[in-house]
Amino acid sequence: MIKSENLTFEYKITTEKDGKSIDETIKALDSVNIDIKDGDFVAILGHNGSGKSTFAKHINALLLPSDGTMYVNGYNTKDLEKLWDIRQSAGMVFQNPDNQMVATIVEEDVAFGPENLGVPSEEIRKRVDESLKSVGMYEFKDASPARLSGGQKQRIAIAGVLAMLPKCIILDEPTAMLDPMGRKEVINTVIKLNKKFNMTVILITHYMNEAVLADKVFVMDSGKLVMQGTPREIFKNPDKLFSYGLDVPQVTELSHMLIKKGVNIRDDILTVSEMVDEIIKKASKKTVFYHTENAKKENNKETVLSLRNVSHVYNEGTVFKKTALNNINLEIKKGEFLGLIGHTGSGKSTLIQHLNALLKPTSGEILLYGKDDYKDVNKLKSIRQKIGLVFQYPEHQLFEMTVYKDIAFAPTNLGLSEEEIKERVDTAAKTAGLSEEIYEKSPFDLSGGQKRRVAIAGILAMKPDVLVLDEPTAGLDPKGRDEILSAVKKMHDEFGMTVILVSHSMEDISKIADRIIVMYGGEIYKSGTPSEIFEDANSLRKIGLDVPQITLLFKELNEKGFNLPDNIFTVDKAFEIIYQLFEQVEKQ
Amino acid sequence: MIRDITIGQYYPSNSILHKLDSRVKLIATLVFIISLFVVNNFIGYGFAFLCLAILIYISKVPVKFMLRGLKSIVFIIIFTLILNLFVTDGETVLFSFGIIRITLEGVLLAIKICIRLIMLIVGSSLLTLTTTPIELTNGIERGLVPLKKIGVPAHEIAMMMTIALRFIPTLLDETDKIIKAQQARGADFETGNFLNRAKNLIPILVPLFVSSFRRAEELATAMEARCYSGSENRTKLNVMKYNKRDFKALFFIILYIVGIVLIKIFV
Repeated sequence: MIKSENLTFEYKITTEKDGKSIDETIKALDSVNIDIKDGDFVAILGHNGSGKSTFAKHINALLLPSDGTMYVNGYNTKDLEKLWDIRQSAGMVFQNPDNQMVATIVEEDVAFGPENLGVPSEEIRKRVDESLKSVGMYEFKDASPARLSGGQKQRIAIAGVLAMLPKCIILDEPTAMLDPMGRKEVINTVIKLNKKFNMTVILITHYMNEAVLADKVFVMDSGKLVMQGTPREIFKNPDKLFSYGLDVPQVTELSHMLIKKGVNIRDDILTVSEMVDEIIKKASKKTVFYHTENAKKENNKETVLSLRNVSHVYNEGTVFKKTALNNINLEIKKGEFLGLIGHTGSGKSTLIQHLNALLKPTSGEILLYGKDDYKDVNKLKSIRQKIGLVFQYPEHQLFEMTVYKDIAFAPTNLGLSEEEIKERVDTAAKTAGLSEEIYEKSPFDLSGGQKRRVAIAGILAMKPDVLVLDEPTAGLDPKGRDEILSAVKKMHDEFGMTVILVSHSMEDISKIADRIIVMYGGEIYKSGTPSEIFEDANSLRKIGLDVPQITLLFKELNEKGFNLPDNIFTVDKAFEIIYQLFEQVEKQ
Repeated sequence: MIRDITIGQYYPSNSILHKLDSRVKLIATLVFIISLFVVNNFIGYGFAFLCLAILIYISKVPVKFMLRGLKSIVFIIIFTLILNLFVTDGETVLFSFGIIRITLEGVLLAIKICIRLIMLIVGSSLLTLTTTPIELTNGIERGLVPLKKIGVPAHEIAMMMTIALRFIPTLLDETDKIIKAQQARGADFETGNFLNRAKNLIPILVPLFVSSFRRAEELATAMEARCYSGSENRTKLNVMKYNKRDFKALFFIILYIVGIVLIKIFV
């Protein structure tokens, strides 16, 4: 179906150095040989800038090779006469659901492709209806895209490709901007297309749990194809994957930690149930007494923020009335690391905008250090300085000519002196992990992860008491995610900053938060330490949230007669416990 | 706050006006607007007003809803009223004080222009209230087809309109987000003199431009990937066909034109 032979793609960039401009040739793709068969489900992995998207764009003839050849459905992509045949047989879905919709009505958007191909109207009608049915969006055919969720929009984009009757569908990080529920919707749709309609699927992703579902995985690094094989073959080498800036599923990581310690289990475990089977087969014990530090660390420190019966109703008194927050009571102590979790629309974003006085409660009150400053218009600036809020995709707010000026924007607004500003920019940049060398660069020339750190530094430069981050890792690759999270952890551990972290990722949040608040339907659904939260995995899954693989593993083991603690959620803790199940074997 | 703004507000209903082909409605609106400038006496305005009132009645759009649309232009109406009142020179002076002279001619002209303006706004909002944006752009595209021969890019104009309509809510959301993000960084948009306020817009406008260009680029790639190549050989999901009621409506439009011409000649 798709075959590349020594596929190479080069482009030139001109850099200025010491007043001279130097032409540099960058190889985005370097002699890539890939062969994808009809009906395959292929996942392509690689960190940002590894060449995956460039490769995907070659399949669709959006880019043409500088060297080597690309064959799609038997056509050479350089053959311009076959351009429309190629694009029709290999349809493409992109990352941002908003930026690939053309029409103001769902069915018109799905019809866009066949309309371009000159398909007769009755035939278009048939194809649109069928495509919408296969992605489960038929009842939304008259809706406006603006009213749909991210996952629904991506399904519409898939339907738009299906209506061109392609043989192959390429998805370029289709789930990067979605919440866990949306991600599931999209992935289930993709699997259905592959299994039921035998469609060839090429999925580019940063999520290892999605790659596990594929028949074949390709790993790319600096423009080269570095690994290929079945998911089992690929994930057998966690260390190699880590070196390419990638990740492995939690249970795979756990199994390899055990193997390194001499435990004799399979080295190709990918799923929770495989791990459960393997442990049942090989473990010598069924019980481990393990003292989890469930005792709450009493935090007797000063209360920074307290919310009392806070409610927020949008469009009160109209038909569009919507209660976004309902009677929230919450205390945040100094030095606390609070995790805020919940799916899109659960009220998380509305809540944190209240903390920053960007929204005012329609009833209830918010106290900062016990004082009711939020109602005083003259104190807004000082509240916003004390509670630093980093929005989702904060790099979208960068605007200055240089990185330095951008970070200095907030302290300048505070009316500080030149020296003070310099000092603050330096500290903020350092904390966010940025070097001084990039100060004079344009923020728009930086990589995605760097841009985001510049934006975070821009908030840190206000020296806030509380740092609120709205999904700081959204859309980043595993390495970028780790860098941001460790920077945030450092701010909390070393600088004693109070942190509120909003995230979709249970795995991230459980690793670093002291306390987790679960939001659902504008209310606090659950609140407690990570182990208290994960004790009851079922109730979390009921409201559409994911639980870490490790938590599921322990739950299933306990259901199968093991006697293990049920509040474990990190790989390290799990290793300590599971290892004890095998210890006897080793001693013999 | 910013997302409360509605553009091209459509009022869903099942009146005959809603069902009419958008090309006919476009023609009707155009004829109506021209007629307002052709006639310049109160009988003519009365005739136009009568027709408009009948149409509003048929459209089933509540009058209150229509008038709400006028609220936003009250300032413009009052401004033109006053301007014409004071600036127009004439013979019959009604009132004079220093350099201010109000004449009968001025009063009449001011009233006429206001009537024209109000009917113009109400007439054209009747079009957007009874026609969905997509029908409207389709109507414009199909309506412009005859002009293609003289080089008017009908399909491209309609495509641009569709994309604009599609992205208005997205960009409004984005603007709202950027304003909040900059406020969180201590930006102040409410105080300061005019120059300062204009300068304070930079932190909003630059990110908005950057993001619009990024969106445009991504959209163009996505359109190309879906085989878009302009208007050549393009078909449509929903084909527009004239109905019996559309021809009836055309007949009424002709009657209206005759009425206006008669008034123009004899009154």
